[in-house]
Amino acid sequence: MDIDQVKEKAGPREFAPKDDLPEEYRKAATRMLQFHANSEIMGAYLERPFIRQAPSLERKMAFSAKVQDEIGHGQLLYRAAESLGIKSRDQMLDELAEGKGKFLNCFHYPMDSWVETPMIAFFVDGAAMRRQATLKKSSWEPYAHAMDKICFEEGFHVKHGEDILRELMSGSRKEQQMTQEAFEKWWPRILQFFGPTDDKSSHHDFAADVGLKVMTNDQLRNAFLNTYMDKAKKYGLEIPDEPRIRENDDGTYEVVEDDLDWDEFFTIAKNDYEPGVGQIEGRKHAQDAVEWVRNALDEQEALAAGSQSPQAAD
Amino acid sequence: MATAENATFDSVDDLDDEQREAVKDLLLRLADDELVIAERYTEWQVRAPTLESDISLANIAQDELGHARLWYDVVETFGYDETDLIWERDADDFRHSTLVELPFEEGDWADAVVRSYLYDVAEDIQLRALEDSTYAPIRDRVGKVLGEEDYHLEFAESWLEHLAADDEGHEKLQSALDRLYPYALTLFEPSDEDIEETIVELGLRDEELVGMRDEWHDRVSSYLESIGLEVPGLDLPEQYDVHVSPDLLPEHVGRDGDHTDDWEALLDEMTHSYEELGRDYATHIMDDDE
Amino acid sequence: MIWEVFRQEKAGGYHTHCGNVHAPDREMALLFAEVQHGRRKPTNSLWVAPQEEIGEVDTEDANFGGTTNKSYRFARTYNVEPAAEEVEASEKELTEAEEQRGEA
Repeated sequence: MDIDQVKEKAGPREFAPKDDLPEEYRKAATRMLQFHANSEIMGAYLERPFIRQAPSLERKMAFSAKVQDEIGHGQLLYRAAESLGIKSRDQMLDELAEGKGKFLNCFHYPMDSWVETPMIAFFVDGAAMRRQATLKKSSWEPYAHAMDKICFEEGFHVKHGEDILRELMSGSRKEQQMTQEAFEKWWPRILQFFGPTDDKSSHHDFAADVGLKVMTNDQLRNAFLNTYMDKAKKYGLEIPDEPRIRENDDGTYEVVEDDLDWDEFFTIAKNDYEPGVGQIEGRKHAQDAVEWVRNALDEQEALAAGSQSPQAAD
Repeated sequence: MATAENATFDSVDDLDDEQREAVKDLLLRLADDELVIAERYTEWQVRAPTLESDISLANIAQDELGHARLWYDVVETFGYDETDLIWERDADDFRHSTLVELPFEEGDWADAVVRSYLYDVAEDIQLRALEDSTYAPIRDRVGKVLGEEDYHLEFAESWLEHLAADDEGHEKLQSALDRLYPYALTLFEPSDEDIEETIVELGLRDEELVGMRDEWHDRVSSYLESIGLEVPGLDLPEQYDVHVSPDLLPEHVGRDGDHTDDWEALLDEMTHSYEELGRDYATHIMDDDE
Repeated sequence: MIWEVFRQEKAGGYHTHCGNVHAPDREMALLFAEVQHGRRKPTNSLWVAPQEEIGEVDTEDANFGGTTNKSYRFARTYNVEPAAEEVEASEKELTEAEEQRGEA
């Protein structure tokens, strides 16, 4: 297939691993999937300290389950990326450790307190879930399949996050105040989750043309604001004055882009933002420490493959 | 086995004070062990050698937390709530074995699998000894807990076998075993000699700690030796025919409330948010089990 | 290696492909699949098979069901009333298949 044929045929779940797809498609899809998979891993990395710190046994169990799911999502997405034949899972994980793998802006920031957890677990996951629902229509079949399982599991994540928010905002004055502060800190970052407005995004057109992407950044941001601003208000959170958000007559929203720190965003996008670098390094350190285990398994697998006897039948 | 002569107890109402202490001790040992080992397992989330093993060990952690919850629930019928039993409880009131509170050195997956193996075999033996407990609420829960333990042992054994077949793996496993074995012995130390006697007299558990420890030692020795590891002997000088010589045990046993410094540090971490928020209750999400 | 995983939801049902796991051998593949693919959806059984052992034939290599008229394989071709309930049920299924093939 050439790229024009791809654009013509592009539709939900249209392309599968056995199709002979042009490199341009395969690289674009790999980039998307790698970003998505990396984000799952780095999101999990950011949240894991709160398994330990959860203020009740059942909250602890839920947090462990959430982090477990996220590693599982990473597993699905790296697999869907591998099947494009451009990079192996090991390569992508190495790139992540070396600071070359890109991931969501929100996971470059530190999270220090329990009151910050719903910012990720409710708002960011809510935004992600909206996007993931649309990706069920991706043209890359393994991506769409991964989305089936991810969307299946993600509802628990968003509700768990909402429940934590509900509890905090109906708790003591202190809890409410701390939560409001956390919300103000995270709100601009959450808005930047959707990336720059459509006219500033470089990758969108191609991804949309070949069916990898189904909704634009702006569409997703509008859908998010439509639902989640009301939710925030419902729980008693005050939407910060900045960035200014104007509601248009047609019900869509316009965020005053200059009110957001795009310098910081693009620094993050290059993996140059210090706290994010700390996250990357921290994970790398932990992963290097268990390299010996992977080596042991790889050696055994190689030995087994090298042996002449056929796969043992039971 | 509980004989027709032993009374069976349906609930806390059937227990006198001495009996209550014994049941409570038994339950707290179980619950505290599960809570703390689970807490240590969660350290491996996002840090395990492969994504798949990460997901599996997280599952084991959640199982153990679930078991802790079942046992704490029974203690709660004695007039406590979760905050009394975990969040506002003194570090030296906890009765878990010091095996489970030990931190992991970064990257020491060998420790994780040896520790979990030693722990899981002990748990298996102990749970089977509780299957016919004279205390109904314990009897009613053992089956559920055992149902999840199979996977834990399979996982540990699979990893042990894979690592033992590798030179570096073998070395690390042996090193972990040498270090952990004395701590594992504390699983079978009593919290208090009199209470332990009562536990056995009442038929709460149908085996004594000593017998279980010997069974455990035989079983783990036989298995670990079969994969090429050396297990310390259990040489018991005559005067120590009931319990092991103090020389074999680590400095802190945990069962009597005497823990390592790492435990207090761990509990501080665990209670950090609870305290920062000034909480006085523990959130429940799920409906109560029977 | 990569192992493809197949789930059977209930006893008596069919195993359906549901994803895969990376594992060095079958034993670990089963342990991992049990959790990665069996912890929520109702599962009676999981199979794992090495990805490289799975062969495929698709519409590029084969014309499934042929290109020439083979309607003699289907019940509605025959101009008699189904003799019994089960014959009618079979005819329904065969017709559905025939029509779906027609759409392909």
